[in-house]
Amino acid sequence: MYVVQTTDLTKIYENSYIALNALNLRVDKGMVFGLVGPNGAGKSTTFRILLGLQRPTAGAVSVFGEGMSPERADIRRRIGYLPTNPSFPKHMTPITYLEFVGSILGMDASRAKVQLARLLQAVDMAGAASQRIHGFSTGMMTRLGIAAALMGDPELLILDEPTSGLDPAGRKQTIELIRELSGRDRTIIIATHILSDVERVCSDVGIISQGRIIYSGPMAEMRRLARQGSISIEIEGNTSAFEQQIHTLDEIGSVRYERVGSEFRITFLGTEPLSEYVQRVINLVDRTGVEMLYITTGADEIEEAFLRRLEDDRTRGFLRAAAWAAVQDFSDDPITELPGADLKELEQPDAGLPRHPAV
Amino acid sequence: MQAFLAILRYDFGQLTRSWISRIWVPLLIAPAFALVFVANNESELASETMAFYIWAVMAPVSALAVAILAAGAISGESTIISDSILSRSVTRTEYVAAKIISRVAFTLAVYLAIVIPFAYLVIRYATTDTSVGGVIIGLLMVAVMLIFLATFGIAMSVAMTSVLPAVLVVLLAVVLSGAVLQFLGLTWMSTTAVIDQLPATFRGDTEAWEQMRVLLVFTGLSLAALSSAVLLFRRKDL
Repeated sequence: MYVVQTTDLTKIYENSYIALNALNLRVDKGMVFGLVGPNGAGKSTTFRILLGLQRPTAGAVSVFGEGMSPERADIRRRIGYLPTNPSFPKHMTPITYLEFVGSILGMDASRAKVQLARLLQAVDMAGAASQRIHGFSTGMMTRLGIAAALMGDPELLILDEPTSGLDPAGRKQTIELIRELSGRDRTIIIATHILSDVERVCSDVGIISQGRIIYSGPMAEMRRLARQGSISIEIEGNTSAFEQQIHTLDEIGSVRYERVGSEFRITFLGTEPLSEYVQRVINLVDRTGVEMLYITTGADEIEEAFLRRLEDDRTRGFLRAAAWAAVQDFSDDPITELPGADLKELEQPDAGLPRHPAV
Repeated sequence: MQAFLAILRYDFGQLTRSWISRIWVPLLIAPAFALVFVANNESELASETMAFYIWAVMAPVSALAVAILAAGAISGESTIISDSILSRSVTRTEYVAAKIISRVAFTLAVYLAIVIPFAYLVIRYATTDTSVGGVIIGLLMVAVMLIFLATFGIAMSVAMTSVLPAVLVVLLAVVLSGAVLQFLGLTWMSTTAVIDQLPATFRGDTEAWEQMRVLLVFTGLSLAALSSAVLLFRRKDL
């Protein structure tokens, strides 16, 4: 049983905006799952449907194996939620608000007080515990939101941009807190734009684009994919000879490079192991007689991989549409093929992309 | 149930702290004392004094206050409902029920806290021409109308996302209802007609079925407004 599972989850707002487009997401127990995507990709909408704050237009959502709806307070009791830019009753203080959350959760007053004191300390809000929320900065609101999400010691923690608005120290502290919270059978889902945060705390990652999951898999796999095929090298000597020979490193069209001065960034689009490509580059250095100053694989790797997935998805989106149109136009002609696109492959929603075994 | 009680307590706290309540209650008390004083000195009729107070003070001031408090019940919290409250272990029904009960109970509490002592003082110090049953029915009719206004305001609060449009719709509905009901041949249902009949009602001179008709209609309308509010809120995307 998955802690969170969505099947073809679709949300269309007022027949005018498609927020989620047949989204399939599966999150296992104990995972720290990073949901990464550009603005408007559908991260917050997914969370709001998971919490029963919004109803899906189509598709199904289950949390802890049960269907979610606005009336399922029993499921929400097991979930802690931090929204993006959270807002709270302005006249309350962190203490009175967390007491209120405790009473909603059915905690007795003394237990709620112990818990809120511990949490305010953990999010570094003890000094502002009796101040009115009215004057709080974005960072303080986020910290209070984290404390509120943790009041009921939830089994599932959903954090929407948990480090937004925080200063570097606060961000580091929050990341540490998330690390501490992970494990012990607790599942955490984090949506963020900050890829380094995902890299630091997440065991698994999903990339969401235009309301669909375009990649889902372990973080280690993402790192491996990111490193795959990207080599940076700085050389001295006959750089022109080296540059002229780069295309011989792999099949025609499957090697790309960028040059900045004497530094080359070579990207291999093939599927061979990275070590094989590194060996070929070193051989080329030997052949052309240049001197190698340094060689490295995959700088800014996660960001690169993320952007590459998004770009791939956009390209495939156009190809899928074109393939679909071709099928519609020439459905009577069985031999018609779309140039440059394998129709069978493109019929698969995430064709060619690595897939998480659970998805 | 825990969540329902927590939200009820929270909303009562908000209502007692609100500036509307702080203005509303003194605005009702000061004229009440003045009228008791005048009625005592001028030997005014108790039924006329009470009806005048309802017409000149209680109805307009309370209509405005109740419209604002009720129409702001949910729309006034639109920015925090989902983030701070409904994302926790609260059902929609618990939330909206707590809001309805707190707003209606607060309206009734303020109304009764003012009119019961006022009616007692007027009957004691003015020229008594009222019957106990007439006074109870008359005050009950006003209470039922205020409850309807509160429930209608809450329904508008669910339907709209901002407080101001919701308040304006409620007040416009009150102002225009007289003309619309007259056009429909239902003048007896209008607040003006009910208030005009109050002196006779306080004296116990109105027919029982006329009183029952008003009580039943406004109770029915309140229940309809409440059902709409609950159904609409349960279906709403937040």
